[in-house]
Amino acid sequence: MTNQPATVAGLDVGSTYTKAVLLDRDNVIVGRALIKTGFKLGDAAERALTAALEQAGLQRDDVAYIATTGYGRFQVPFRNVNITDLTATARGARSLFPQTHTILDVGGQTMKASRLDENGKVRSFRLNDKCAAGTGAFLEKTARYMGFSTEEVGPLAATSKEAVAISGVCAVFAESEVINHLSQGSSPADIMHGSIASLVDRSLQLMKRVQIEREITLVGGILRFETMVRIISEKLGSGVNVPEGDMVQFAAALGAALLAWQRLNKVQAAGGLQAGLAEPLGALA
Amino acid sequence: MTIRVLNGQHDLSLDDALHLCRDLMEDTDFPTVKRWREAGGKVLGHFQVYFPEEIAHAAGLLPVKMRGAPIEARQAEARFGSYLCSILKTSLELALSGRVPLDMFVSHPICDAARNLAAVFGRNFSYPCQILYLPQNANSAHSAQYLRDEYARLKGEVEAVAGRAFSDDDLRASIGVFNENRALLHRLYAIKRDTPWLLSADEAYVLMAVGGLIPREEHNELLRGVIPQITARTAKPQDRIRVVFEGGFCEQPPLDLLRTIAQFCYVVDDDLLIGLRWIQQDVPLDGDPLYNLAEAYLENSSYSPVQHDLRKPKEKMLLQRLQAARADAAIITAAKMCEPGLDEQVAYSKALDEAHIPYFISEFEENMTSFDHMQIQLETFVENLLFA
Repeated sequence: MTNQPATVAGLDVGSTYTKAVLLDRDNVIVGRALIKTGFKLGDAAERALTAALEQAGLQRDDVAYIATTGYGRFQVPFRNVNITDLTATARGARSLFPQTHTILDVGGQTMKASRLDENGKVRSFRLNDKCAAGTGAFLEKTARYMGFSTEEVGPLAATSKEAVAISGVCAVFAESEVINHLSQGSSPADIMHGSIASLVDRSLQLMKRVQIEREITLVGGILRFETMVRIISEKLGSGVNVPEGDMVQFAAALGAALLAWQRLNKVQAAGGLQAGLAEPLGALA
Repeated sequence: MTIRVLNGQHDLSLDDALHLCRDLMEDTDFPTVKRWREAGGKVLGHFQVYFPEEIAHAAGLLPVKMRGAPIEARQAEARFGSYLCSILKTSLELALSGRVPLDMFVSHPICDAARNLAAVFGRNFSYPCQILYLPQNANSAHSAQYLRDEYARLKGEVEAVAGRAFSDDDLRASIGVFNENRALLHRLYAIKRDTPWLLSADEAYVLMAVGGLIPREEHNELLRGVIPQITARTAKPQDRIRVVFEGGFCEQPPLDLLRTIAQFCYVVDDDLLIGLRWIQQDVPLDGDPLYNLAEAYLENSSYSPVQHDLRKPKEKMLLQRLQAARADAAIITAAKMCEPGLDEQVAYSKALDEAHIPYFISEFEENMTSFDHMQIQLETFVENLLFA
């Protein structure tokens, strides 16, 4: 344990995966982790933080402040602050791509489009309906109906020669649609490709509703499928920003960590008078 | 006759006490009131906001706060216009449906709708339905004496229902019980103000509000038991903004709304069921107890949009409440169709703007069940403050 904790954590407790990012004072990522969320959200946050600390070679006491985001943000009892996905993702996307003005975030259970102002604040946003349609869950179910795992969605779609038209994106009714296409001789790759194209159409509708401004940054677990990125780019007729590798899934956690530093610095500057920070600042002394 | 309605549940752990209070608050069959009546007791239902419950207590009646409920007003809808607030309808529905059996009902002319409530009750029930005329001009030199005489009139009505007269000493004893209750509630609110991470807004609310449904002696026992347990909690403080919630003086927001707010704000003060905490300090036990009650109502009291006292401009009182609670911001709400509450939002907004205090304005209804929209608006408001 060091005498002066110089790290903050951003925890994105998503419906499918929980992501943790540790940032040092220079905003350098010193550790990160991604784990399946499961049903115990607080435990998932604990496990993700522990994994990130192990990667960074740090102890729990080295973390001065913890910000949570994602749909399980309220279920983390050891958090210092909770932040909406929109704000955290905006900050994360801006730090990765400073000219970002429009963000599309497609996760396991949600799809969000937002437009940012010059200062990186969310000016407008739209969320998908309250069903899993238009989210990663739809692709996951489609893949599962055909006997493929989620990890195989990307490689499978990449082998497609022609997308099959998928008329709807209801995760429940997708099964009968997939069975119909399979019985008509369509290949699983083309069906997967069609499902992704259908998802893209839905995401473009959301983006149009927030009034697209360039640059556009794509984040969220589903954007790790290159087919999805390629189709969005083609339909928009312009390039898009996508964080490299698995960082596409860490934008919100990164943003939460950046905001954690902002909040910690602000409270330290004020002398740590905010009651809520009594313990973390005590650890700093 | 001593009637107890908590079935011996007094020495409870904090978790059990909170569970019990939540159950009682959310039970639209009002079991404690029924137990009281089944044991031979009589019940006086009084509509919001303030009522001198000591007078009913001294006569041996159970004063029950009629604060509506999240129920469908099937019968009451036929007796009111659709443009009226929900609490009026559901309070009548509670009586019409037999959920809250009464022996007397008292309302107050706090707004155009409420001043007719006693008459509407009177057309539907054979028991006495009264209007308590609290002074319209609180600044008159004669208002305390006027109110004392109005209380005396009410005392006679209450005694007739109880079937017995009560003495000044009886009333003083009741005032003593309620003095203790108010002191305990103020202690509860001090915990909310000073260490809000130990007591969430919804927890404080159920602990307070259950007092309107049970004998006050039992409420005092409950609070005496839980307050030391709250202060002994080891909850970790979080980095949240401190807010004052305003707009719960009459119709009550759903408990889930308070839970939603408590997820990312510390509610350090509020006006929820302010009638239970209307009187700020102990009512003197010497002298004329009716006069003391009247004077306390006028001179030693909180504020609400339904009391008009030139010495207590509501916007000034709100700023004082914010300052005393060391709040960062205000949540200004009003029940849908609540004219006094909505009117006051204008003055509140102006004063808060001038004082450069951030505020969030919203409306609620006791029957609302979806809070997603409000949550995202409120979280955005909070983040604008945290990450300015």
